[in-house]
Amino acid sequence: MGKLRYFIALWAAKLSIAALKVTGHNGTNFPGVLALKICPRFLKYAAKPEKIIAVTGTNGKTTICNMLLDMLTMDGQKVLNNKMGSNINSGIATSLIYGCSMLGKCKYEIGVFEVDERSALRIYPYMKPDYMLITNLSRDSIMRNGHPEYIAGILTRYIPASTKLILNADDLISSAVAPENSRVYFGIEEMPGDIRECVNLINDMQICPECHSRLKYEYLRYNHIGKAYCPVCGFKAPEYDYAGVNVSLEDMKIEVRDKEGTGCYRLLNESVFNIYNVVSAAALLREMGYSHEKIQGFFEKLNIVGTRFDQEHVGDKTLYRLLAKEKNAFATTRVFDYISGLPGDKEIILMNSCQGDMKHWSENTCWLYDCDFEFLNREEIKNIVLCGPRRFDHRLRLLLAGVPEDRLSYAEKETDAPDKLKLFDNDNVFVLYGTDSIALGKKVADRVFDMMKKNSADEKGGEK
Amino acid sequence: MESKIRIEVLFPEIANLYGDLANIEYLKKSYPELEVVETHLIGEPEFMKRVPSLIYMGTLTENGQRLATEKLSHYKEKLAEMIDGGVRFLVTGNALEVFGGKIEDTDGSVDMGLGIFPIHARRDMMHRFNSLYLGSFGGMNIVGYKSQFTHSWRDDETDDGDFESVFETYRGPGLNPEIKGEGIRKNNFIGTYVIGPLLVLNPPFAKWLLKEMGAGDVTLAFEREAMEAYEVRVKEYSDPDTGFYY
Repeated sequence: MGKLRYFIALWAAKLSIAALKVTGHNGTNFPGVLALKICPRFLKYAAKPEKIIAVTGTNGKTTICNMLLDMLTMDGQKVLNNKMGSNINSGIATSLIYGCSMLGKCKYEIGVFEVDERSALRIYPYMKPDYMLITNLSRDSIMRNGHPEYIAGILTRYIPASTKLILNADDLISSAVAPENSRVYFGIEEMPGDIRECVNLINDMQICPECHSRLKYEYLRYNHIGKAYCPVCGFKAPEYDYAGVNVSLEDMKIEVRDKEGTGCYRLLNESVFNIYNVVSAAALLREMGYSHEKIQGFFEKLNIVGTRFDQEHVGDKTLYRLLAKEKNAFATTRVFDYISGLPGDKEIILMNSCQGDMKHWSENTCWLYDCDFEFLNREEIKNIVLCGPRRFDHRLRLLLAGVPEDRLSYAEKETDAPDKLKLFDNDNVFVLYGTDSIALGKKVADRVFDMMKKNSADEKGGEK
Repeated sequence: MESKIRIEVLFPEIANLYGDLANIEYLKKSYPELEVVETHLIGEPEFMKRVPSLIYMGTLTENGQRLATEKLSHYKEKLAEMIDGGVRFLVTGNALEVFGGKIEDTDGSVDMGLGIFPIHARRDMMHRFNSLYLGSFGGMNIVGYKSQFTHSWRDDETDDGDFESVFETYRGPGLNPEIKGEGIRKNNFIGTYVIGPLLVLNPPFAKWLLKEMGAGDVTLAFEREAMEAYEVRVKEYSDPDTGFYY
């Protein structure tokens, strides 16, 4: 009965794909939602690629999945993935529906899936990844994810015993999941700019997991990400199987050393976040048997996808479109830190009100006090435009972070925010938007771009 | 010279979820003369040496609750004596469960609390409860959030003695969804599930607390901006069209 139900679900979902194409609604999770409705154990029966790679973790999983997808495609592989859908069970189901024939045979040999951490219980009982890369675990949406210890517990409970884990040794929370599983660790050795004491509001690994004394760090990047040890009981973070070494931001290169040799890889951007992405992707591909030379070649041809990071030069000005996940203090802090570290004077349009929550209730703003708005208290940040329904909360948070009132501007609607920009000479304008405001972010950034273009044309006209 | 007002923060290394430590930061920014001391898991609590003006503990992980309870169990009598004697406490989020009898998990496990208050919590790690909160305290509106895996019940639901509620709820759940009374209040002990951070979101309540601690009529840090954000939120939460449950 189960198998019959599966086929009915598959065919209905396949029909829905055709219907969605005709109506121009492709790219949604509807086929997976429908299939799971008809056959709740659809994922159990669905044909899957021979080799499955899962990427999970709080931050970086979309970027890494996109990188892996591009690199494996460069290698000539046909890769099944959930890039166009969601990372929960219905998104995975949708990908599998696309990937199999009407007779239920999978047309792909390899699958790369981004998997939401909390969806582990609905996915891993039916889909057993050969490799799982866990980027990191940190605070995320308070409402959904609670705290990282909770997420680590879910992963430990549901990761299949046969899955090989590629773990971040510089993150004591994610590196401790599923302790019985086969595993390798990646990390980055000490590099310029490292610190010894946490300067962030969030530090979820302050105490030794063995004796509860205060942990110390040989080096620390941000929050709890670094090489920890306990000075009292001798507890140490895991050793690296894949060590990022000799990071050069000047040459935009990093070496990744393992027991068989060293490869030199191109960095895609200078943020520590993205350096970890490179090391972790290289570690996974090495585990899959790719040579350093081959992976190096892949990296040479890679770009980061536009919705996450994008910059354009217009005359003497630069426009940055940056994703700062709403209600995610950890990820938004990384963005603030990154902006504050870039040279030059800046303006920021802060579109951090959660658009989704506005429709049904009101955003839980606790995350504002986990997020280091203090990074925006820099003299080079000349103007921060606050907009949207939570602008009053953002104002108070920024004032408490020490940002002077005269560096704040206000617009009720996000679309009016560009009017509050000063667009001074050599300006760097950052438009920060969340995952549920990508379209709105694009609209706002496009307006800024047009204003910059007009400004540049006016200046040229003036010169004549 | 010893500062007049001193706040002891219990276990900031683990009791720091959801921005809760900003409660104390906000008091410190509003009244810079106050002294903040931290008590950590290793070592003797400050309150064993000298009684502070306020003892604060914020939201923890479930493991953090166990560690805090284990540590405080060595000082249970002193804690009960301080509560009976009118020492001021502010305990936010699930930290209030540490002072209750036990936490029963749906997986069958039980974590024991200090047993100072006759309450027990029920925890379901697969169902997170999220809501907005609107209530009142001494004529002030109170706004904030609930985001938790637990709710608490009195051990004897027919007996409303021993402690009172902190807030009277207008919208959202009380100590549990079946009642309107929110939190635990006994003498100067205030324990509430409401997070926000509570004092940042509720400047009138922060002012009241500072006054109670002996700071007088303090102008809060960025009081005008805090009040504007508060008033916007009170209006929003009072609107019947605003959904309350996530």
